[in-house]
Amino acid sequence: MSPNGNRTDPPAAGSHEPQHAAGVIEARLGRGAQDVLEAAVVLEAWGGVRATRALSLGSHVVPPKPPRWLPSRLTGEEPERRESILSEALALLMAILAVASWAGPLSRQVGASVLEQAIVIALPATLAFQWAIRSRYLSRRDGLACLARDRLPLLGAGLLALTALVTFMGRSGGLAAIFVTIWVGGTILARRGWALPYGLLLLGTLIGLESGRDAYAWLGGLTAIVLIAGLTAVWTGGGQSQEPAGRVGRALWAGAIGAALGCLLVGDPSLGWGVHGAYPGIALLPSVIGSVWGGYHLWKLYDALPRGLQGMAPNEGDERDPRGSAMKVFLGSLLRLVGTTVVLSGLVILIGQWTSGTNRLSLFVGFGCVALVTMLVNMLESLALVRWALFAALAGVATELSCSEVLLVHPPVPGMALIAGAGVGILLSLPPLLKLLLRPGRVLATNLWIQ
Amino acid sequence: MSPAKRADRARILMITEGTYPHAMGGVSSWCDLLISGLEDFDWQILPITAGERSQTELYELPPHAAVVGRIELWSEQLPRRRMPANAQRRGRESLPAELVRTLIGWKGNHGELLDALVWCRLRPQGVRRVFRGARAWELFLKALAEVLAETDPDAGPAPRLDAVEAARLYQTIYWIARTAAVPTPQTDLLHVTAAGWATVPALVHKQLFGTDMLLTEHGVYVREAYLAAARSPASQGERFLNSRLARGLSRAAYTAADFVAPVTEANAAWERGLGVDPQKIRVIHNGIEAPALHSDPPGNLKVVSVGRIDPLKDVQTMLRVAAEVHRRVPGARFEYWGPPTKGQEAYAGACKELAQRLGTQEYFQFMGSTRDPHSVVRDADVVLMTSISEGLPMSILEAMAQGRPVVATGVGGVPEVLHGCGIVPPPGDVHAIATGVSTLLRDPQLAAQLGKRGFARVHRCYTQKACLDGYRELLGDLAGVPLAA
Repeated sequence: MSPNGNRTDPPAAGSHEPQHAAGVIEARLGRGAQDVLEAAVVLEAWGGVRATRALSLGSHVVPPKPPRWLPSRLTGEEPERRESILSEALALLMAILAVASWAGPLSRQVGASVLEQAIVIALPATLAFQWAIRSRYLSRRDGLACLARDRLPLLGAGLLALTALVTFMGRSGGLAAIFVTIWVGGTILARRGWALPYGLLLLGTLIGLESGRDAYAWLGGLTAIVLIAGLTAVWTGGGQSQEPAGRVGRALWAGAIGAALGCLLVGDPSLGWGVHGAYPGIALLPSVIGSVWGGYHLWKLYDALPRGLQGMAPNEGDERDPRGSAMKVFLGSLLRLVGTTVVLSGLVILIGQWTSGTNRLSLFVGFGCVALVTMLVNMLESLALVRWALFAALAGVATELSCSEVLLVHPPVPGMALIAGAGVGILLSLPPLLKLLLRPGRVLATNLWIQ
Repeated sequence: MSPAKRADRARILMITEGTYPHAMGGVSSWCDLLISGLEDFDWQILPITAGERSQTELYELPPHAAVVGRIELWSEQLPRRRMPANAQRRGRESLPAELVRTLIGWKGNHGELLDALVWCRLRPQGVRRVFRGARAWELFLKALAEVLAETDPDAGPAPRLDAVEAARLYQTIYWIARTAAVPTPQTDLLHVTAAGWATVPALVHKQLFGTDMLLTEHGVYVREAYLAAARSPASQGERFLNSRLARGLSRAAYTAADFVAPVTEANAAWERGLGVDPQKIRVIHNGIEAPALHSDPPGNLKVVSVGRIDPLKDVQTMLRVAAEVHRRVPGARFEYWGPPTKGQEAYAGACKELAQRLGTQEYFQFMGSTRDPHSVVRDADVVLMTSISEGLPMSILEAMAQGRPVVATGVGGVPEVLHGCGIVPPPGDVHAIATGVSTLLRDPQLAAQLGKRGFARVHRCYTQKACLDGYRELLGDLAGVPLAA
């Protein structure tokens, strides 16, 4: 029979042609033919047999047994993707250090309430921009190249948003616009590999602020430099990549999640952003370092998940496996985040003179919970469960704001509302995540590889 | 913008796959020739690309042609929402299972395939939702197990698959569903340029609107997919799935096409062997613009080859031929014009290593791309081609048009084209190919005679006019619109 079911001429009785054909195939492929078509194709290409005859011969040389089994092949992990995450995390760390170190001199110059309001606006806005940009551009291998293609509309939209901040929010809006530009620009500079010069710029600004120079002039100058450097980074770092960018809709969802997490960070007035000087920033540092390490480890999921499924039958890979590769990576990330946060928080508390006034355990617990909910929500987002991720983050914010209202007059400990909000976020995001990760085959097929 | 329909002018939707207007090459040149040369039709171009953004159009489209969209295969982009969200919610959890049965199964049901693909077009937003569902994945696994357990002597036993290969196939099937979901504009005729992914939107359009479909095959899609799979280092499972998918798509294309227009009789033989009704096949040769006057080879002992550096061109055999010829004719020099195929850079590297091992660097040079193949070929004494798979190679027509003698392996349409005017050794036979080349280098009279015959044959059988006339007639018939005299 032909490949489509038509009758073909059999070889003449006693003919050695099929044996010869099988020999040609074996010599060329080092194995028998997969099916009649492969046999025919090989016979035509390397045996010089005409198509019609090759197709007719093919059906006589297909071996009855399958070839020796070999597991699937995988390409290696993409180290540059993990490096990019590291550089972005570095930028975030620097931004937090900047908040902590600038808070004192800035609140003296612009007023504590203006600074507090600016931070309350800037943190959610920055996280919204960072999450959106990461979703659509920077999470790609050639992220800057993707970003470069949309540079003009992005620049226009960014400037419009910042102008709106300045116009409608007055002085605090202006300061917030400066912070957003510096922090978001830092992410791009770090991705370009310019984290060190960026760090030096932040340090230089601190020296300027501490020496009593005009804060707006210094920060304005820094903003201009970061903006120009950021544009240069995008213009020059793009290359000729043609990798597609992510979906706009998905990036908007990611931006909303980032904004919600930012609101969680600033929604509890007992934290005293801008009022308590460097302290909230310093208290945030351990959990940020923990989440950087945890998040960096989490990127192994893209590689570890298929690797753990190699050689496993499809049905076997779909069974519940609490010790599967996905769960291992997840638990590894969790341990890193929690362990680092606990150890570093302990260290910061021990250095009493640095943290006097905020050496309450509750504050560190609160920021630790935020780091955890950020990691969980991030995982949900990367597995394309964006609606659920946003719901968990928003529910956390709603809880935090409600608790703040109730506890406003006499909060039992600082950061109580933050702990409650982040706790709700964790409770909502953990079950769907565990449900997914328990079935590695399914999560690979339906979540990781179908975005 | 799609060209608006004008009275008495047929609209033709040409669906390309990785070629026109975003890539240079033989198929793209043919598309350009057809579109520029057939002004009687309004051409709507729908390219399928690998999801690469900011693809520049490398061909200038004439006023009667327009790109009407682009389908990106590997990107995250979703088809446009065309129905209210609640209407899209009615899922079809069996969709992936149906697609795997009909495309990967040895005897897939064409009607079931069309039904599944049409569902994707009618509910584009539902496709992703279905594929992300746990139930769809379970049904898919069950259907895949049934396909792997099929018994047919022609199909041979299926290899064992692992969970990663199953997940990868699920993703590929999702891309097919997404391709089917992309809307196509109103048109009078579908012209599909490869029996692979380009077929998918056409299948749905034909099923929905009853529009006629013409399939042109430059190579034989399924044959080339099997050849690529046979030579790839992929696992057995991956090879099995890739080749079966190509077969599934080709079967669907052959079944749905009202006419199949291969570029050579050799392809037609394959298509008949693969079950295409001979009545539906009409061979239309590629054509070339040949100079009016013939010139003799320059006598410089130069052997030229034009083509991509690709395993299908068997450049390694060419290097061995060069070594052998140089031993016999010490003054012989070889030039290979053409870049590596995208994704075959490793093969190009291996070729250069082999050249070093054989010590051919002195007389064999990789020249890179050329924008002027005419003068490259004109400057040769012999034109050489060692491919293991070809349709109707333009580089051979080019050589014949310039009056140069050709030595080319007897694959695809080569024996038919070179009939009586070139040397046709078997593929991979270094000794026979080298003998052909050295014979022509040593005997300039024979070389000139073969060149003259080739020149005359091109003018007789392979002109652009003949190619365009063939398509003008076929397209006019299928589109059902009377053409201007």
